[in-house]
Amino acid sequence: MDNQAKWLCQLSDIEEGQSKGFFLNDDGNDQIFIVKHAGQVYGWKNACPHIDGAPMAWRKDAYMDASKQYIACHAHGALFEPVSGFCIQGPCKGKRLEKVVTEIDQMGNVWLIHSNKNK
Amino acid sequence: MNIVGLESIVFAVEDIASCATFLTDYGLIPVDVTDKGGRFEALDGTCVVLAEASNQSLPPSVGNGCMMRKTVMGVANEQDLEAIRTELSKDRDVTSLADGSIESIDDMGFVIGFQVTKRKTMSLTGEISNAPGSPLQRPVNQNAVNVNAEQIHPRTLSHIVYFVSDPAKAEAFYVERLGFRCTDRFEGMGPFLQPAGTLDHHTHFFIGAPEFMKGVEHFTFHFAGPTEVMQNGSRFIEKGYQAFWGPGRHIFGSNWFWYFNSPFACHIEMDADMDLHDKTWQARTAPISADNSQAFLLRYRNKWAPGQDSTPKGDYEE
Repeated sequence: MDNQAKWLCQLSDIEEGQSKGFFLNDDGNDQIFIVKHAGQVYGWKNACPHIDGAPMAWRKDAYMDASKQYIACHAHGALFEPVSGFCIQGPCKGKRLEKVVTEIDQMGNVWLIHSNKNK
Repeated sequence: MNIVGLESIVFAVEDIASCATFLTDYGLIPVDVTDKGGRFEALDGTCVVLAEASNQSLPPSVGNGCMMRKTVMGVANEQDLEAIRTELSKDRDVTSLADGSIESIDDMGFVIGFQVTKRKTMSLTGEISNAPGSPLQRPVNQNAVNVNAEQIHPRTLSHIVYFVSDPAKAEAFYVERLGFRCTDRFEGMGPFLQPAGTLDHHTHFFIGAPEFMKGVEHFTFHFAGPTEVMQNGSRFIEKGYQAFWGPGRHIFGSNWFWYFNSPFACHIEMDADMDLHDKTWQARTAPISADNSQAFLLRYRNKWAPGQDSTPKGDYEE
């Protein structure tokens, strides 16, 4: 099932500095989320490296800090670079988020690319 | 030092509007709230105070992204306030504020305030279960569950949990200088502390953590009982808020819990039915582990039977 893509949204559905989550589990938490930073989309697993699997948003789709510059874990306030996923402040400083691969096609559709490395 | 408990917790935030919505949806009652902040009260008037991060009149943050600027405790009367002023003045500044409260700093560097408590006296029954054989039952024909109930409100500010680099030092300050007692202790983590003016199992809990984590782990208000916690928490999730741990029941303190992420760089809890202890209570000690911190843990499930929005096999389909 390598490289099977799942449609996430249109690029225009998400504004600069905003985030959006997908694939709700039974606890009401997204499994992954994407952020739009400097016009690009970056995808991350909704799991803070501080505590295995800890959900990060404070409200559905709300993964960014108030400045909209960093991804934040709203459990303990860890901040992550939206491009690299590295934690720059908080309990998991130096660790990084688990990346999920996304691609944008010429029609502006954002796709989640499944592969063996990114289930 | 008759400290009766927490009176208010002050947070300074960038996005007042979102935080105000969050606290209101949690069940706190907005009082004198503007676009610059305000009070969000429980039924007894204890509260969270929101202010703008740029507000220069507030104490500074302890760093690490901590948005909590001050924890205010209530005392029984002016004599208690003066006793605290005298005690803390021995080795640190104690400032008198215009509202009659005093402000100082604890040994961890957290700003603390004290005021004669303004808690309103409540006379509200809690949750009563119809336990066979119990002399205390709900009135006949009174339903325990009302799915159409209006917004549920917490009753009072319960406790705050700090990350500190030296829990022993923190405990010594609160016990020796402010008259707290240790009610229970997690080895390798920290003490549950109870001030002299309440029987609540704890109003403060300290978790040992590296200095770069210094801040708040969570804060919480008491609700009337487990049904309010479950119903309010479920509604909170339906509004899109994100649960972190729970619902379940703790062992130390016995309180029902449900933890949620928040826009305050810490968790917020809904709790109910905490144990009461007096001076005769002997503090227990346990190693920290999941088994020692949750008596049981319940899980939220969107679909519980085949039906609308279910797959043909309901939850049973792999």
